[in-house]
This record gives sequence, structure tokens and C-alpha cells, in this order.
Amino acid sequence: MAVQQGVVIGKTNVGKTLFTINFASYCGVQEMHISFREPDGRRSSRVLQREDAAAELAGPEPHKTRRLQSISLELPVGKGTRHLELVDTSGLTDYVHRDVEVRRAIAQSLAMIRDAALILHMVDAALVGESGPVAGLGEVDYQVAQFAQMRRGYAILANKMDLPAAARGLELVRSEFAGHVILPVSALHWLGFREVKQFVAHAL
Amino acid sequence: MSNTRPSAPAGPGDFPAWQRIMADVAEGRINPSEAVRRLVLVRGGGARSAMPTTPPEGYFGPRPALSAVPAAEAADAAELRRRHLEEARRELATMPGLRSVKETVEELLAWVQVQRWRMRENLSSEPPVLHMVFRGNPGTGKTTVARLIGRMLRDMGVLSKGHLVEVERADLVGEYIGHTAQKTREQIKQALGGILFVDEAYSLARGGERDFGKEAIDVLVRAMENHRDNLAVIFAGYPAEMDRFLRANPGLVSRLPIQIDFPDYATDELLQIADLMCQQRQYRLTEEGRARLREFLETERRAVNFGNARTVRNILEAAIRQQALRLVGRNLPVDRDRLMQIEAQDVSAAVKRLFGEGKAPAAGRESEAGESPAAAGRDAAMQRLAQALGLLAGPWTGENAI
Repeated sequence: MAVQQGVVIGKTNVGKTLFTINFASYCGVQEMHISFREPDGRRSSRVLQREDAAAELAGPEPHKTRRLQSISLELPVGKGTRHLELVDTSGLTDYVHRDVEVRRAIAQSLAMIRDAALILHMVDAALVGESGPVAGLGEVDYQVAQFAQMRRGYAILANKMDLPAAARGLELVRSEFAGHVILPVSALHWLGFREVKQFVAHAL
Repeated sequence: MSNTRPSAPAGPGDFPAWQRIMADVAEGRINPSEAVRRLVLVRGGGARSAMPTTPPEGYFGPRPALSAVPAAEAADAAELRRRHLEEARRELATMPGLRSVKETVEELLAWVQVQRWRMRENLSSEPPVLHMVFRGNPGTGKTTVARLIGRMLRDMGVLSKGHLVEVERADLVGEYIGHTAQKTREQIKQALGGILFVDEAYSLARGGERDFGKEAIDVLVRAMENHRDNLAVIFAGYPAEMDRFLRANPGLVSRLPIQIDFPDYATDELLQIADLMCQQRQYRLTEEGRARLREFLETERRAVNFGNARTVRNILEAAIRQQALRLVGRNLPVDRDRLMQIEAQDVSAAVKRLFGEGKAPAAGRESEAGESPAAAGRDAAMQRLAQALGLLAGPWTGENAI
């Protein structure tokens, strides 16, 4: 069966890597077989436990992820299973980043949305709640939504719902992106994963 | 722009354009949001490739080929956008008058579309610069047309949101050093992805060299350059004042490639507008009412500060309230027709209320005098109406009825 690709995309520090790792774990992946693709095309892979993967790959510093990191998932759909390669990407910016490595990683991330069967577009609901949609969302968020509009396999994940400002942020995200599928999640606390899994299974 | 021309199919043909966009990101020539905006143009916004593609060379790693994907989603998205675009164009077309404005907007849309097709075919294309000047008297449709242009450009994938942020001097100009730049930048940020509509733009230059308005203009000019792919700034105002403003700011003129003049409406066009407004509110002007309105407009439209469609709207809204007073004052059973009809006396009373006794058409004044029972019962009717609405004071009874 052909493996379909799902890409987790969004601005830097919205929680893409932690979500990818924890969601893979939620979907039953015990050991993380993570494939890495560098912007120059080099490939490598590692096997990590969830905790180690989270500690090593996710973090608060911006642009920690500078390559594609993918994990294969098997999702039960009906009587069969669907195979999905969930790809974590480098964070997007609204400006030209001065570091060429980051720019190359961003180009690599954007290239993924062309053909991915699934686009999980992550935004930081807590930041939106605290700072409002103008500061909390980026122009790139609106552009990605525009790009992916009407795709069956496109959803906006409003992350960090465990934080106090996120409820207000979720309202604002809903109003800014009316008409899109918006799923509230907490990558840290595994909240909303069931709905994401249902969405992914439906979209594939 | 032809409505029937099919959009270019998504597929391997768009690959070189994608590759070029990704290379532009990696080389730092464009930012990621601009890159995605261009991807929308290249792919028509969300269409997935119908065929596998070859892996790219360059800055990013090889991409696995994908299995064939149904084209239905792409067709749905394109169809929805096309429908929205047609709806906005229809709205523009049904606006009375404004022939030259409509032609210019169609030219603009056609040019944007052709640039998009050229980009898709990997031909050299100019990024659309969408900043404009709207010159026209009040009520000539500047804001309405700006709003429609925003929607159209959004549906064409040029602007990401297509909304309109309407500002005037007070929204941009601050009171102390540094305040203006901050206020102006905030408004620009709100407008990104849509249209920043600077109403009475000439007032930014009214204070001379030491005025903070100059600072606002400088910030706007920078934003027009930096965000020219995803922001349209429209400077609007009275024709003569706008001409003076532009002459005094030559740096601005060169960045405003599109200048649209909004002529005053002719009397017949104003009456069409009145009919449309009535229709939208489920009212209709009687023949006499229409004649009375025509009589007033014929004289008044020559006045310096005549508000064109805005004046018509104000008169109709006042006439609707006058009709309510008349119907309640008569204390007679009302039928559907009476509830819908705006009569000559309603128009006369509305004009009198809005513009004073001297402005009311002569026939109206006579007629009103002839219908003394209604006029005499006005105060009582107003009281009853206020009671019925549960109001003792408010816009229906106060002087600030408009």
C-alpha cells in the first residue's frame, strides 16, 4: 500500500516537533524510528524512545528543527490500516531569516506542502490569546490557509490549549480562519489527539 | 478577462515555478509568506498535482513521488473562488453609473490574471503593485468599490484576506515624537493581506513640514514598498485636495500606478440608487415620491458638499421614519402596500428635517400643508410610536435622527 505523507507545518515555536513525537506515540508507535532529510538531500535515521526524542528534538529555542523529521504511522481505518509518514518541518517566518541554513530548511518545509496528502497547520493558540491575531499569527499562516483552502486533508491545529490564554486564542483563530477545520490540541498533554487521529483517518 | 478560459492544469508543468520559488526562499530573495503566496498563484490555491513529479535539485532533499490524487478537490476550490469572484463582479456591475470605474477595475483584474498565467508558464511577470488613488466627492462609491476590489483580489489569490481597514488622519497621526510611526505601523499590520483605505488622505499633509502627518506618509510609503505583494494602500479624498496632496508628495505618486476618478452621480443614477436602496429595505417610492426626490436632487446635487449616494441614503432613511410617523398618526388600518410605500410627503418631510425648511421642494411644502391632519397629529403620533417601541427618547425622536 502506498504511504501517504502528512506534513506538520507552522511558525517556529508553535510545538510542531513535540506534537509529531507525542502524536506518533498516541497512535501506537513504541520506538520512534525517525528519518531525517537534510536540506542538501542527505538522509539518516535514528531509533529513539519517546522521552529521548522529545528531549533531544523539541525545545523552546526557535528553529531547533532544521531538516525534515518523519515518523511512520499505521492508522486503523475501517477494517484495514492506512500508512502515513508524518513529517515534522522547520518553523516558518514572516521575514527573510539571516541564517542561510534556516532559509534552506524553510524552503525544504515549503516544498513538502506541494504534494502532501495531509497538511496539519499548527498555530500557538495561547500566543494568539495573549497578543491577539495580529501579533499571534503570522502572514505566513494566512497564506498557508489560503494555499490549502478546500483541501480535504487540511486542518489547523490550535496548540497549547493547556495554557490559560488559549481559550480566547482558539476563539480568535476560529474567527480568523472561519470555514477551515480547526482542532484544539495540547501537544504537551496529549489533548485533542483523538480528534486529530479521526481527522487524519478520514482525510487519508 | 474572459470568464470561460480554463485555468492552467496543475501538474508537472508547475514544477519549475515551484523550484524557482523555493530557491528564492533559500537565497533570501523572498520571505516564506511571499513564497506561499506565489505558490497559491502557481497552483491556483490548493490544487494538488495530478501526476508524480521528479525530485528537485538544489537546496532541499528529494521528494518521494506520490500516487495519483483525485482532481475533484482542486476543481471544487477553483469553482468556489470563481463563484465568489463572479459574485463580487456582479455586485460592482449592478452599482449604478461608475462606468469608467468599472472599466478600470476590469482592466486591473485582467492584468493581475495575465501576470498569474505568465508566472504559471514560467514567463517573466511583474508582481502586481496594487496601491491606488481614489479621487471623488463624498458618496460616490469609493469605499464600496474598495471593499469589492479587496474581495476580488482575495478570490484571485492576490491578497490573502482581502479585508478593508478604513483609516483617517486621527488613526495614523500621533501626538508626540514616535507615536505616529507606531500608530501607522499598527494600522498597516492590521491591513496586511487586504486593503488599507486612507480616507481624506490629503489631511495627512495639511500641517506643513513640522506636522506628524509627514511621518505617517513616510511610514506608509515604506510599507507600500515592503508589503507591495500583499497589501493595497488606497489614498482617497476630494479630487482637488487629492491633486494638491499628490503634487506635494512626488515620491508617493510614483508608487501609485492606479488612479481612479469617481464622478458625481447624475440625477437619474441617484434615483436608481434610491430605487435599489428601497428595494433592499422592501419599500418603494411612489411616482410622486420619486418626482419629489428628483426635484430636490436636481437642485441640490450642484451644491459644493453634496453627498451623492450618501445623501440619497440619508433622505430615504429619514423618509422611512416619516412614513412610520404618518402611518401611526393616521391611526387607520394599514395594509402591505401602505407599509411599503414612500410617498411624496414623506420625502418632503425628510428633506425638511435633514436640510431645513428652505431646502424642501416647493410642491412638498404645499402638499404637506394640505395634509394638515397628519402634520397636526405628528407629536401625538411620535408619542405613540415611542411608547410602542418602549422608548421615551432616542434616534426616532431626537434631533440626531441621522
